[in-house]
Amino acid sequence: MAAIGDDIFFATIPELNARIASKEVSAEELAHAFALRLEQLGPRYNALALPLTELAVRQAKAVDKDLKRGRTLGPLQGIPYGVKDLLSFAGKPTTWGAKPYAGQVFDYSATVIEKLAGAGAVLAGKLAMVELAGGGGYRYAAASLTGPGLNPWDRTRWSGGSSSGSAAAVAAGLVAFAIGSETSGSIVTPASYCGVTALRPTYGLVSRYGAMALSWTLDKLGPFARSAEDCGLILHGIAGNDGKDPGSAGKSFYYTPQYARPPKELRIGYAPADFSERADTSARPAFDAALGVLKEAGVQLVETKLPAFPYDQTLRTILAAEQGAIFEPLIASGRVDELADKAQIAGLRASLDVSAKDYLKAMRIRRLIQKAFAELFASVDALVAPGRTGPAPPIDQPLIPLPGAAPAAPPRASGFSGLIPAGNLAGLPALALPCGFAGRLPVALQVVGAPFSENLLLAIGKEFQSRTDWHRRRPPA
Amino acid sequence: MKFTRRKLAATLAASAAAAMAQPQTPSSAVPSEELNAARERIRTATDALARQEVPMATEPAFQFKA
Repeated sequence: MAAIGDDIFFATIPELNARIASKEVSAEELAHAFALRLEQLGPRYNALALPLTELAVRQAKAVDKDLKRGRTLGPLQGIPYGVKDLLSFAGKPTTWGAKPYAGQVFDYSATVIEKLAGAGAVLAGKLAMVELAGGGGYRYAAASLTGPGLNPWDRTRWSGGSSSGSAAAVAAGLVAFAIGSETSGSIVTPASYCGVTALRPTYGLVSRYGAMALSWTLDKLGPFARSAEDCGLILHGIAGNDGKDPGSAGKSFYYTPQYARPPKELRIGYAPADFSERADTSARPAFDAALGVLKEAGVQLVETKLPAFPYDQTLRTILAAEQGAIFEPLIASGRVDELADKAQIAGLRASLDVSAKDYLKAMRIRRLIQKAFAELFASVDALVAPGRTGPAPPIDQPLIPLPGAAPAAPPRASGFSGLIPAGNLAGLPALALPCGFAGRLPVALQVVGAPFSENLLLAIGKEFQSRTDWHRRRPPA
Repeated sequence: MKFTRRKLAATLAASAAAAMAQPQTPSSAVPSEELNAARERIRTATDALARQEVPMATEPAFQFKA
């Protein structure tokens, strides 16, 4: 068995492909090394929900046999990965990060897992998440069956949620890539806090069959990885029509970086306030420098305003109505009280109060939002803003105010403050790109585009990453 | 104790009515101020939606496929 150094745990997919192709390492050795590392170090970050070491090694042996016979399946063949524990995997527990579902086992696997298996990727384990993907509105990072997600850059800080384990496992080099989900912010936030590249695809591009439903009209699945290029290769493997997902857009995705438009042809909208008044002071130098990199690449940065809508309130109403319907049996049974976070329990209970009239009003506003963004993308190719305004908060800091506390002060400037709910309401893709540090903690940009513009976002990401090395930085050992 | 058919019917009807009148399982895990705060958040959101003008012809953003 070849000696495996630490570098391999932080290698990109093409780099791993090269090592397997040159026989420097076999798929079995790679799977064994990653799966053991995930099993040993995953609990250090509360990132692991279920180790699958034996199964991973078995899958990898089959990959090696295929490779010996010359049966190649593409760039994901032999690459170890993890999935958020919101995806069903036949015969194994799928807890959705929540105590009431701790013993849940499905007899079928999610389409994404089936697709990755077909591409020869090796499932090394299931990854921790905020309970029920946090739709009820949780106050503390500890809202999870596996405890608070700890950030590999500083374990006194949060990894972000709800795809906590997916982001932390990639950041700590426990898997080569991971699959997470976003309803509103659950990919962009943990990717930003953990300093990894991640993609929220257009609504409907990746099948959600076998994934826990939190909101039928908002849920999306997407990759966390080491680079924009890796995200493109993974999306190529998992996207596509699926008759088993009623929300499937019926579209395929082919990663085609060779046809990327040159940066100087691109107009990217931004709000200067996002990079100054709205940004944490400690993060401003990193955000400023990141804008500088885009300018150097020749991109035309255009001052832009988001269309004026009550994004957050619209999203909250839709999410509450849909999750209320989905988890009504849990709420009615009283087992909702077994959840870890009191605000989350209260939020789920209160979600039953949303009337049909209010839900429909929100969905009609959503139609206007989609139209307004279609018009906006006629004048710019993409939007750029900080992924989060600053670095990861301390692990015990309340994420929403305590009952009776004074409401948070209104933002000093609005900028693109509604971009995460707006992007999710309009079903838009977003790419999170590590862009520097605030102290010892990573911060990131988010680049948002029109529906099905993933190739454009990935090209912008690839250009940015060819000029920076933030995505290659590793957390302390 | 003897039950007439009339008494039995009355007892069953009363217990069924009591069951129907039972409120949703009360939460022992959540303080009432927490629940009130969650309800207030929903109310504030729907109040904001009420202020948003929507042209009458605007249909909800569902996509049904046949």
